[in-house]
Amino acid sequence: MDLGIDPDQLGTCVQCGLCLSSCPTYRVTGDETFSPRGRIALMRQVQLHDAPLTTEVTEAFDTCIQCLGCEPACPSVVPYGHFIESTRNALTEHRGSRRRAIALWPLTKPRLLRLGSSLLAVAQRLRLVPARLGLPNQLPLRRRPHRSSGTDVYLFTGCVMDAWQREVHFATQRVLEAAGFGVTPTGDAAGCCGALHTHAGLAAHGERLTQSIDAALDPAIPVIVNSAGCGAHLKQHSSHQIFDAQEFLAEHLDHLPDVTPLEVNVAVQDPCHLRHVQRAHLPTRTLLRKYVSAVTELDDDGLCCGAGGAYSVLQPDMSQQVRERKLASINRVQPEVVASANPGCSMHLSAAGVKTEHPMVLVDRALAANSSTT
Amino acid sequence: MSDFAKLVGAEGPVTVVGGRTRWHVGGEVRPDAREVHAPSGVVSYDPAEMTVTVRAGTTTTELTTTLNEASQRCALPERGGTVGGSVVIGENHPEVLGRGWLTSSVLQVTYISAEGKLIRGGGPTVKNVSGFDLPRLVVGSLGTLGLVEEVILRTNPIPPRSQWVESHDADPFAVASRVLRPSAVLWNGASTRVLLEGHAPDVAASLNSLTAIGAWSEVDGSFELPQHRWSLQPAELNGCSGTFVASIGVGTVWRDEPQPRPALSPSVIEISTRMKNNFDPTGRLNPGRSAF
Amino acid sequence: MTTADDALLADLKRVLGDRVRADSAERALLRRDASVFDGGSAGPTCLCESTEEVQRVVRIALAHGRSVVPRGAGTGLAGGAIPLGAPVIISLSRMNRILEVDTDSRIAWVEPGVVNLDLTKHLTPLGYHFAPDPSSQQVCTIGGNVGNNSGGPHCLAYGVTNAHILAIEVVLADGEIVTLGGLDAEPSGYDLRGVFIGGEGMLGITTKVAVRITPNPPSVRTLLLSFDTPRDAAATVSAVIAAGIVPAAMEVMDQRITIAVENYVNVGYPRDAGAVLLAEVDGLPDGVDIDAQRISDIGRQHGATDVRQAASDEERMLLWKGRKTAFGAVAQIAPNYYLHDTVVPRSKLADTLEEVYRIADEHDLAVVNVFHAGDGNLHPLLLFNGQEPGIYDRVHAAGAKIVEASLAAGGVLSGEHGIGVEKQPYMHQMFSEDDLDHQERLRHAFDPACRSNPGKVIPVGHSCADIQSLRNVPEEVWG
Repeated sequence: MDLGIDPDQLGTCVQCGLCLSSCPTYRVTGDETFSPRGRIALMRQVQLHDAPLTTEVTEAFDTCIQCLGCEPACPSVVPYGHFIESTRNALTEHRGSRRRAIALWPLTKPRLLRLGSSLLAVAQRLRLVPARLGLPNQLPLRRRPHRSSGTDVYLFTGCVMDAWQREVHFATQRVLEAAGFGVTPTGDAAGCCGALHTHAGLAAHGERLTQSIDAALDPAIPVIVNSAGCGAHLKQHSSHQIFDAQEFLAEHLDHLPDVTPLEVNVAVQDPCHLRHVQRAHLPTRTLLRKYVSAVTELDDDGLCCGAGGAYSVLQPDMSQQVRERKLASINRVQPEVVASANPGCSMHLSAAGVKTEHPMVLVDRALAANSSTT
Repeated sequence: MSDFAKLVGAEGPVTVVGGRTRWHVGGEVRPDAREVHAPSGVVSYDPAEMTVTVRAGTTTTELTTTLNEASQRCALPERGGTVGGSVVIGENHPEVLGRGWLTSSVLQVTYISAEGKLIRGGGPTVKNVSGFDLPRLVVGSLGTLGLVEEVILRTNPIPPRSQWVESHDADPFAVASRVLRPSAVLWNGASTRVLLEGHAPDVAASLNSLTAIGAWSEVDGSFELPQHRWSLQPAELNGCSGTFVASIGVGTVWRDEPQPRPALSPSVIEISTRMKNNFDPTGRLNPGRSAF
Repeated sequence: MTTADDALLADLKRVLGDRVRADSAERALLRRDASVFDGGSAGPTCLCESTEEVQRVVRIALAHGRSVVPRGAGTGLAGGAIPLGAPVIISLSRMNRILEVDTDSRIAWVEPGVVNLDLTKHLTPLGYHFAPDPSSQQVCTIGGNVGNNSGGPHCLAYGVTNAHILAIEVVLADGEIVTLGGLDAEPSGYDLRGVFIGGEGMLGITTKVAVRITPNPPSVRTLLLSFDTPRDAAATVSAVIAAGIVPAAMEVMDQRITIAVENYVNVGYPRDAGAVLLAEVDGLPDGVDIDAQRISDIGRQHGATDVRQAASDEERMLLWKGRKTAFGAVAQIAPNYYLHDTVVPRSKLADTLEEVYRIADEHDLAVVNVFHAGDGNLHPLLLFNGQEPGIYDRVHAAGAKIVEASLAAGGVLSGEHGIGVEKQPYMHQMFSEDDLDHQERLRHAFDPACRSNPGKVIPVGHSCADIQSLRNVPEEVWG
């Protein structure tokens, strides 16, 4: 079966295995079918040698979290991300894409999404929502509306995050404003970026969503994204100038006021889409070091937490096993808060009882504490 | 076929005699065993390569002299006897931390098999993983698997400065936390002697660092070592009493009485027995002596 | 799958449940390791989690007349982990716990699936590391290091794996559990521990290891010397050794690989130098400065055009990252490579290198050289495009010539990758029939029935009769 991968590129893997330990699913299973080297070998079997798509083969592809931790580990620079995306698309077409498309449909309808979220919030308060689902602790019942403060930068507000974690957007906007930037939140004008669709093997659908965002925004204005997953997707697929929020602010550190850092020990959890795809995980530290008293590194080399967008729902077992490793790593350094710049990761970790905050929220809090004391 | 191979032959009990400095280790050789001597002499020595090819019958004194002329040394203990004897006994130098482990320093062995054949194992280079490791098997084998004719040993430069220092009040177990790479830390229950080696400023710095745990004075050399070696775990050494010298961080203890032979596990004995039978089916090599 | 397979599988599943895999996907993957060899054939894979499970699997395999092959991360380059004759594969990757670290005695007990670099990272806060540092250390396992007696750049001063292992718990081919070696200074009996290391899984299966841990040196100096030719770099290496200096590491890279590496790490490796020498000394501050100065003086006497000292830890780490990922960086030059591993006396380095370039030329192949120069350990990489018809024959032929040239220079077949199936056909060139016969006797003391990883190391005609059929594999497995 043609997986749509360039055969020459497929040949670039020399099966050296240097990717194995950066693969979360190999790490927890020790099974090479769940490793990048193994998956590439299976892609070759399927595409070049017409091997049948057995349950085991599709399982190998379906269990990839697409964290892309293997890409920086690969000295041969094999474009694994393209391989797996292409494979997922081919599989989705092969199996039919209706169910996934329906599941992701609300993301493209912001008002409906917010209404649904409010209903969920009510259910939460009536204790009808089990904590293990990993929803934010108190989904908002109502949301303050976005307000524009200028046109220096856009703040990309997206879909789920805007419904569930709008406070993070407010915090990000306040920090950007403290650095002297006038901010226009994109709001419903530019909704879902399409990352989850592309991830789920609905690339064409994802592409359409990204295009509609591009069409809605002024290309001259930089777009600040505070969700690592959306940022990664937009950097790859949008024609606009896309910046991760921490990345942008670390570049403008001197614009930000010097304040007394928050007395808190923060461990940084690097979202894969920030670390492996955007390769922009270091600015989070630059920024946090200025605003919190202690920044601690986890000792797992940025191994994925297992959230992976919809992955935690589609592959709950593997997702939780991968999370166990992350939790062990967090436990070894015992931070007070784990800073995560991706809503999916932070929800996934919160569901296991970890106290998480978006780095922007911590910076905003430090700035606010300072303005109230001086 | 080498002269030594002819001498050893393929039949009849045979024992190889070196300097008889450790003659009783592993049991008494049966009296009917024919005594042979391994050939002697340094075959080739290239200091720039840091290896030496030497025949088994060469005395360790001669080898040491040759190496010292080129400002080098090796891991063999300098306690008299022959090179071959030292290799098959497998004792490490008392300054093993500085000299390196004997087993790692034997790069190649040439020995005469029970069938009288010349066998070579290992290789002449400092790094080698070509095939199964016969040199490791021969080190410490007490001549029960083959009679060594020649070895290639790794050599090392003699450090620019070597200084023994002694303290009567320092905790010998605290030395390792003060000195990066001591060449020896010996303790006799009353005082501690440490061998510091390296560039002169490093030796001075190490000595200075040692003063934090006691008062030290320079001495000429090591303690006089009692005759018998005991092999203990480094963690067991603080329990030593009586007359002894203990090598801290290594686990060797020198005492006046021999260590009772520790019992080996049945599985180890089984492998060892098969090994002996595979190499010497008729039991003609050093009969009466056993390495296990 | 035959009925015999079904019965075997049923027995294995009784012990391991769904940690046995025998589907076509798994079998296709585990047929290979990181070498260029294909053509193995895998039986069921058992993801064991304890010594007892390994023991039970070995006994079940034995009862069904099947051999066993241990597997770690599958990063071996000589085909040592390639399954021959559809054996039961015992994967040790799940046995990855660091069981105990004792800094007083400088010992750590670990399971075989612990990743080499994970162990060092675990020890870093305590001020220690595990000294053997093969270039694949980010993935290769301690069990694999034991099996191959692995080296690495820093083995020049610290010694290879053998010098860092005190005791090994092994499941023998008959299912017996035995501990080789011990924590005491000079364990009595034959040095079965020392013999087992480098046994390529043919002497039994490692299930637990006591490793020596090494204190981190307080000072490190890393020098990057540039030369016009690889010959000058090699001559410098020989001269440094001859001057009585034993650096922690001395690594040489030729121009083509240096450029590829620089493209990847961007740390200032010179693109215009014919070769670079990366030399490292460690220890106390004064001594390392003295040695660094002497090395740079010797370099200049031998034609170094530039000598640079890493100014920071970050720069040092980047220089090493470049060196350690060099093999992968060749993908920029050609899609496939065949990495060779031979050792020559250090004084013969320069001559042998020139011979390697000549051989590659003669076979119309590109070659780059990146190697552990301090040990005389050559790593020529023959570069090619595997799609080209007949290319593997040429690569194979050039490889054979390189081995011949190394042996002619007084060298050996392998410095750290092992024999596996790759070098098996060359064993006769280094050893006599009698030598090989004794290696076989050694093996039989551990595994009289040849059930553990059969078909490797010892060449055709030196084996247990019941697995003769495996022996013709190496010639056919290319590609």
